[in-house]
This record gives sequence, structure tokens and C-alpha cells, in this order.
Amino acid sequence: MIKDLIKSLSKNSVEFIIIGEVANFYYGIKTITTKLEILYSSEAENINKIISAFSPFNPQLRDQTESLRYSLDKDLFQNKIELLFETKIGCIDLFSEVLGVGDFKTVEAQSVEVDIFDVLVKIISLDDLIKAKRAAGRTKDLLVLPELEALREVLSDEEE
Amino acid sequence: MKRSIEEKLLNPKPGSKVAAAKEFGIDLTLLLRQLRLTPQQRLDELQLAMIEMEEFSKAKRISGK
Repeated sequence: MIKDLIKSLSKNSVEFIIIGEVANFYYGIKTITTKLEILYSSEAENINKIISAFSPFNPQLRDQTESLRYSLDKDLFQNKIELLFETKIGCIDLFSEVLGVGDFKTVEAQSVEVDIFDVLVKIISLDDLIKAKRAAGRTKDLLVLPELEALREVLSDEEE
Repeated sequence: MKRSIEEKLLNPKPGSKVAAAKEFGIDLTLLLRQLRLTPQQRLDELQLAMIEMEEFSKAKRISGK
């Protein structure tokens, strides 16, 4: 599941940043999710690493009917902002940019680095997570905003 | 022709409850996957997810604000 997905990304030296509900949880929102959402660097070499990381685990697009499901292929990454995969080790959503924030380099500049499952991973900053939720604008995203903003206020108070 | 559960979830009809759920922000692809699992498999995944998420609570911050 999430642990196996992160380990596989790390083992293949994929440049990625954790976003979405796992990031929510890291900052204190009590939620349970079974999928990992990541922002990836769109460099060709990194895309090859992503393919290497998941090819052994039968990755298939979740948002296609079974008859139209494709395997993980670098052509899929062309002009796609999001790719939703199901693999033998769990579900992973791959994003090339974060709506309301920007591309990998922009998000990386503010990200935090944490030690989890014995690997170092980057997580989107709380400020950028809030911007992303606001930009997404769906009810589900907007509902979590007050809690994230309260957490930001509390955490910034602590640092004063 | 009657549409399958897969078709209903992946291509919801405008104005349907499924379309409303998608607009709300529900990941219908994940819901479809859940439906393919047995109740036992769903419980096993949930239990594992809870353990893994708990690990994030203990993750040590190395750098960043």
C-alpha cells in the first residue's frame, strides 16, 4: 500500500512530492486514505524512473473501463496533468502540477522533508496545501480548509 | 441498454447522484475499486492504511518550514 508505493519510488530515485490526503494527515487532519497522491518532476529521466518503479506491479489506469485500460507507458505522460493508477501494491495518482500552486520546482522550493518508512520524502508545505485546496474549489476540498488554516495559525503561533 | 456499475461510475450521467458525488470531490475510480474488493479485503486495506497513516504522525521532519 502507501508504504510499498513510497519504497518503490525511493528505490528507483524518483523525484516526487507527496500531496493530497496523505499530506493532510501529515499536518494533522485525521483522515484515512488508501491511495498515494504525488507531484512528479516531468523531466524525461524522471518519467522513466516512475515507469521502472511501477512496471513490475501491473499498473493500469483507474479512470478507464476495463476494455480501455492502458499500461504504464511514457506516451501517457504527454499533455496529462493527472494519471490515476491502480497497481498490485496500491493506488497512486500522479500529477505534473498542483492547481493553484504550480509545477514540481515551485512546490519543491517550499516543501518539507521527512523521514518515513526509513526513506526521506518530500511533502507539500502547509501553505501550498491550503492554496491547492482553495484552487481546487470542490466541496470536499473546501470543507477541510478551516481545519488546515487553523492548524497553520496554531503552528505559526508556536514558532513566535 | 442497461449500463454497468463501471460505466455509471466512470461516465456519470449529468444531473445524477453519481455526477454530484464527483463534483463534490469523491474519487469515483477509488469507489469502483472498493466495489471490486470483498468486504474482508476492504477491511484488511483499511486496517493497513490506519497503521501506515499512524506512521506519518511519527515521521521525523528533516528540513522545511
